[in-house]
Parts: sequence; structure tokens; C-alpha cells
Amino acid sequence: MNMARALVSRLAPMLACLGLLGIWQVAALILNTDSFPTAIEALRAVPSILGDKESLLNIGASLRRMAIAFSAALVVSIPLGLTMGRSRLVASFFNPLLMITYPVPKAALMPIIMLWLGVGDLAKMLVIFLGVSLPVIYHSFQGAKAVEEKMLWSGAAMGLNALQRMIRIVLPAALPEILTGCRTGLVLALITMVTSEMIARQSGAGNILFNSLDMGQYDIVYAMIIIIGAMGIGIDAAFENLRVRLVRWSEPGFEIPLSFA
Amino acid sequence: MNARGLTTDVLLGIVPIALAIAVWQAISSFGYAPSTLLPPPGLVFARLAQQLLTGTFQQAIGVTLFRLFAGFSIAVILGVGIGLAAAASPAANAVVRPIVRVLAPLPKVALYPALLLLLGFGHESKITLVAADALFPILLSTYYGASMVEQKLIWSAMAAGTPRRQILFKVVLPAAVPSILTGCRIGLVISCIVVFLAEMITSTEGLGHLLVTAARTFQAVDMFVPLITISLLGLILNGLLQGLRAWLLRGFPEV
Repeated sequence: MNMARALVSRLAPMLACLGLLGIWQVAALILNTDSFPTAIEALRAVPSILGDKESLLNIGASLRRMAIAFSAALVVSIPLGLTMGRSRLVASFFNPLLMITYPVPKAALMPIIMLWLGVGDLAKMLVIFLGVSLPVIYHSFQGAKAVEEKMLWSGAAMGLNALQRMIRIVLPAALPEILTGCRTGLVLALITMVTSEMIARQSGAGNILFNSLDMGQYDIVYAMIIIIGAMGIGIDAAFENLRVRLVRWSEPGFEIPLSFA
Repeated sequence: MNARGLTTDVLLGIVPIALAIAVWQAISSFGYAPSTLLPPPGLVFARLAQQLLTGTFQQAIGVTLFRLFAGFSIAVILGVGIGLAAAASPAANAVVRPIVRVLAPLPKVALYPALLLLLGFGHESKITLVAADALFPILLSTYYGASMVEQKLIWSAMAAGTPRRQILFKVVLPAAVPSILTGCRIGLVISCIVVFLAEMITSTEGLGHLLVTAARTFQAVDMFVPLITISLLGLILNGLLQGLRAWLLRGFPEV
């Protein structure tokens, strides 16, 4: 009984995928217009994209940019967020600046950054970096702020200096919160990646998507949507797997909310 | 003591912002960057003030705000409704949960071409995109807020003879309000970002469109103006939501 239930809960997302594709198929058959191919037609175009060397290079370039920018953002944001969480001085120094820059659409900076850095990799990675940084800083800040003082006192009494306390106590204690921020950052990285490539069409998955839209190759448009969507779901699932492993000790009996900012 | 601490905080917070503007000014006035690439801040803010008074600019703000509010309201209604339903009924939960798991991490911007093809280049496609992006944070926080309601409160209401349906609206919904408002705040920031992006991709009006037109003609000053405007709008809306939260949760200790 228990195993059957576990099986159902594992299969449920797959069923949901199939259900959504089914709804798409039916809707496309009812609407029956050129600009809305059926799910089967779109799925059939997927292998043609994945088999094409140039498209694969494009998608690879996207992923590479995203990976580099994401890692760079983590390296900068987590220490900054943790320091902000432990020091009121640092927090009140950076907080207003972050508050003002939060609602700025980062991908909208793209045209301006392009003026400075050109249309190449650097501009796109900078935009992704900015997009990922803010949620990660914010969540690291919240996580570090909530660390129990007593643990820090005990650490200090046992002779840990400030840096050691930060690494040995604050970082692990704030890890669940930091990872929530990273997950939000990951989703944002994907969104920013697609949009930045759409604005500076030079290479990448977003480039294929919007170029085929302009050229009216609708089956490619929808196939790309499926591929980008699958990338999003796949990356998210992989990260969730990693997160669960890292913070199993702090896991409550239920799933942690999937937060977005 | 407390008031003094607050003033120091505010002063400290102004420092980096002032510093950023000073660096910006210095870069352009010492000639490190030509003003076609980075116009001096004075010029940008003067232009902003001047633009705010013109009819076309106000119209652009109006269009953007309309799309933002329409999408955001749809997201709030659907998000709170579905979230509550999923928390209250196991059957709804079984259907909603896997669908949300699949759709939430999907980058919605990628759906935008499909929305364009289906709904056209007008308001509808943008409003749908905003709603789709803002929906999930609101839905998830409603769901978690509603499923964390203390069981004792529900038992008390049942003991007092409240019908099941009313428990949902009189006990569960109010208890979930703080969490719902947090979700709305996230959704609002996302709405600001997404409406701007959608207008940048394809549009004939709105703030995002202004930025793209400025970029095509290399008017750096005019590129900064819509960007600053959307950030200001985000800040103002966030402030309003904060005010609403303070009013709705008056008398409650801040959670």
C-alpha cells in the first residue's frame, strides 16, 4: 500500500506533463490555426533541433553562460548576505541599495549594458549575474539573521574566531534558507538567460526561439518552448535533489515552499 | 536610543546610494565614458522630471500600470483560490500539486511567443504572461499559509458550531493572510519585471516600448528614464502593499 502510494507520487508529475500535453493537443485540434500546431507536431520537431549541430552549440552556449554567471553570483552573494545577516552595520549599509535595485528588471538593463560591453558573452553573463545575486543575498541575509545567538556564543567560548564562526556555525545554520534563495536564483537565471538572448540575438536558446518566431517557423517555436521548459524542470529537479541531500537534517515533515524571490 | 539607532541606519543606507550616484557623476564628468554611453545623473533626472509632465509619457505609464494590475489581480484571485482549495481538499490537492510542480519551474518568458501567436500583440498576451509569472509565488504561499493554520483554531470553530464552508473563510483565510501577503509582495516585484520585459519584446506602447525605441536610436538618456520609472513604480507599489499589510494585520504582532 505504502509502496503503491510512493509510486503514484513519483509518477504524478509525469501524469501532469502528459495531461498538459493532452490539453494542448485537444486545444490545438479545436482551434485548428496555423500558428498553433498540435503537441504531437511540436514534439516531432524536437529531435530535429536536438540533432542539429548548430542548435546544440547554441543551447550549450546558453547553458555555459548560465552556469558561469550563476556560480559567480553565488561566490559573491552568499558571503555578502551572511555578513549582512550578522552585522547590523553592514546590513543597514546595503539594504536600501538592494531594496531600490530589486524591482529593476535586470534583463531590461541589457540594452544599456550592450552599449558598454557589446553583444557578446560578457554582457549576458553580467545580466544573469545581477538577476541571480539579489534573491541569493536576500535569503542568505534572512538565514544568517535567524541563527541562534547561543550557538555563536558557545562557538566563541570554545575559541573560534569570527571567520571560523561564520564558516562553521552561520553557514551551515543558514544553509536551508540559502538554498531556497539559490533555487529562486536558478529560475531567475533561466528567465534572464532567455530574455537576454532575445534582446541581443547572437547565439543561444532564446535566439533560436525568437528567430523562428520572426520567420514564422511555428513548429520550431513550440519545440523550443518544450526544450526550454524541460531544461527548467530538469535543472530545478536536479537542484531539489541536491538540496534535499544537503539539508536533510533540517527537513520538516513537509516540502519547503518553492519561493521565488 | 531606538530613534537614534534608526537615524544611523537611514544615514548609513543613504551612503552607498549617494556613493553610486557620485561615482556615476565622476565617471561622466571626468570623461571616462562619453555621455552618449553614460549620461551624467543630473541630465537623466532632469529628463525624467521633464518627461513625467508630458502626456505621452504619462500614457505609457498608464498602459504599463493597467497591464501590471490586470495581470497581478488575476494572479491574486487564481492563486489564493487555487491555493485555498488545494489546502482544504485532498482531491484538489492531488490534482493541483503535480501540475504546479511541473509548471512552477518552467521559465514563463519562453511561453511568450506562444501567447503572442495565440492572443495577439495587444494587452491580452502581456496580461496573461504577467498573471502566469505572478501566479505561482502567490499560490504556493497561500497553500503553505493555509496548511499551517493551527489545528486548535479549526477545532475551536468546529466546537462552536461553525459550518465547514465558513471555517474556510472565517478561520483559515484570515490566518493565512500574512503568508498570502508575502506571496503577493514577491508576485508584485515579478509582475513589474515581467510587464516591462514583455513590452520590450513586442509592443507598440508602454514603458518597455519606450526603452526599446530609445535603444534603437542610441538615446542613452531616454533609456535610463523608463528604467528608473519602473523601479520607482515598483518601490511605490511595494510601499502601498506594505501599508495594506500594516492595516490588515493591525493589532497582530509582526510574524
